[in-house]
Amino acid sequence: MIHATPMPPPDDEARRERAKMRLYVLCQTAGWGLFLLVQLVISMSLSASRAKHDGLTTAAIIVMMVTLGLLLTHYFRPFICRWAWRDLGWRALLPRVLLAAVALAAAWNSITFVYGYGLLREEWDNKFSPWLIFGINWVNLSILMLGWFSCYFIYHLFDRFNRSEIERLRLMAAVKDSELRALKSQVNPHFIFNALNSLRALIDEDPARARLAVTQLANLLRYSLQSSQLETVPFEDELKVVNDYLALEQVRHEERLCLRLDVAPETRHLPVPPMLLQTLVENAVKYGISLRPEGGEIAIIARNEAGFLRLQVTNPGSLPSISIAVPPMAAVPREASTGLGLRNAGERLRLLFGERATLELRALSPAVVVAEALIPLRPAAA
Amino acid sequence: MKALLIDDERLARNELRRLLVAFTQIEIVGEASTAKQARELIGSLRPELVFLDVQMPGETGLELLESLEPPAPRVIFTTAYDEFAVKAFELNALDYLLKPVDPARLATALARLDERPAGASVSAPTGRLANEDKVFVREGERCWFVEVKTIRLLESEGNYTRVHFADAQPQLFRSLNAMEERLDPKFFFRANRRQIINLAWVDKIEPWFSGGLLVHLKGGAKIELSRR
Repeated sequence: MIHATPMPPPDDEARRERAKMRLYVLCQTAGWGLFLLVQLVISMSLSASRAKHDGLTTAAIIVMMVTLGLLLTHYFRPFICRWAWRDLGWRALLPRVLLAAVALAAAWNSITFVYGYGLLREEWDNKFSPWLIFGINWVNLSILMLGWFSCYFIYHLFDRFNRSEIERLRLMAAVKDSELRALKSQVNPHFIFNALNSLRALIDEDPARARLAVTQLANLLRYSLQSSQLETVPFEDELKVVNDYLALEQVRHEERLCLRLDVAPETRHLPVPPMLLQTLVENAVKYGISLRPEGGEIAIIARNEAGFLRLQVTNPGSLPSISIAVPPMAAVPREASTGLGLRNAGERLRLLFGERATLELRALSPAVVVAEALIPLRPAAA
Repeated sequence: MKALLIDDERLARNELRRLLVAFTQIEIVGEASTAKQARELIGSLRPELVFLDVQMPGETGLELLESLEPPAPRVIFTTAYDEFAVKAFELNALDYLLKPVDPARLATALARLDERPAGASVSAPTGRLANEDKVFVREGERCWFVEVKTIRLLESEGNYTRVHFADAQPQLFRSLNAMEERLDPKFFFRANRRQIINLAWVDKIEPWFSGGLLVHLKGGAKIELSRR
């Protein structure tokens, strides 16, 4: 099964885009409409008292000016997208927005002037210099433009915040999910149910051994549930649980599983990633014992040498690459694990102890496979 | 009913034996710990029922079944936790028990056996297959116990035979010639070098080129009859 990183479904994204477009159109029309209304009311009340211009010309100028404002902002919006201003920080955004507002206002003002005094032949009120009027208007329109930009970017600020919040929640769910799956993979269900089955038979046959086996199974389950929260555990803790596990496998496989422990005493307190040795041993039992009618010996060797903890687990067998090919029709859908457990263990080892830590599987002799982990005694500087 | 227990674990066999004590109709005639041993015991003891562990070292339970000379014995699979096998079983309504076995579930499985006509699978492996006998076939994750009378057509593919029944046509690990020897000539007819048809499935026959015949089978296949 493929677990893609949680992405919003495409139609969800499209729906969001459509909703945003609707909101934009609504804001533009409502904002500029309101502005138009206010301007008209003011100019009407002014012209009523002063009766200098005819109302229609003034209204035409106002309508044209507001329409122009709407068009300018509307056609400037694609440039905001193209220059990715939405992703800029405050410091980068502020001068750009100021410049854009002033520039847009200049265009706006110039066109309004040409339109009003040129085309409509609006009478020139020569109480003030035209440059002063132009300047004051420019400043006013710049402030107006700045207002528009503020609305635009404040909305996007909230939108971005919402988005990152959603992303964060998605990510958290993904992490939890993968943690859970990792946890599940630590206890092989096939093993648990087989162990429970042997245990039930043992209850009549050898009650003392059955009681012991229950304790061992409990230890193993508890350890595999708890240890996933720890980065490292003392090697002897891990070894104890591995011993419980092997004792349970011995109940199942009986004389088919022999065990040899060769652990140097000075390795017992060294830190190891939890479930590392367990993974190696589980693998060894699966390929060296469960799949072979004759069974064999599993050896655990631990040495403290040259700044490394060297862990070796051997099992009878040969590496898959040398194994004889099966006829295609006889391909059995066995348990779907081809070195995945080992690869994960190696990954974890490298994350914890850096690049000097290694995990490899190799043939020790034609009939013996060894899984070897090298763990540096001093962890990589974090 | 004579039953054989096949499981690589002694304790698992003991547990099943203990559970079966309550069912007096079942007589356990033997135990096997490997597929090889099981094959010998099935040959010599002729059990009517086999409890078969799917996961075994060396050869799995399904591989064992495939290698057996048809007809297939009645089988109840046992497995601890095997998603693939369980899916395959459920797909084809084969009976299986999950270990540790629930006694009530075992009773259901045995009761279901009683409903089916008995005796079919006792026929000697050297004799001809009866219409009610079953042949075990597997392809990838799917497996079937195919009743002989539901087979429409058998086609030779080298050393294997493709078996057409219902809406599936998996391969059988046997040559067409070997199958011909085992099929009842009253029903199964060698149409040509490559094909055997089940006469019960013939829909119509029409004349064909150069004095040959074309047989239409129910289900759509058209088979050319060679002149012999």
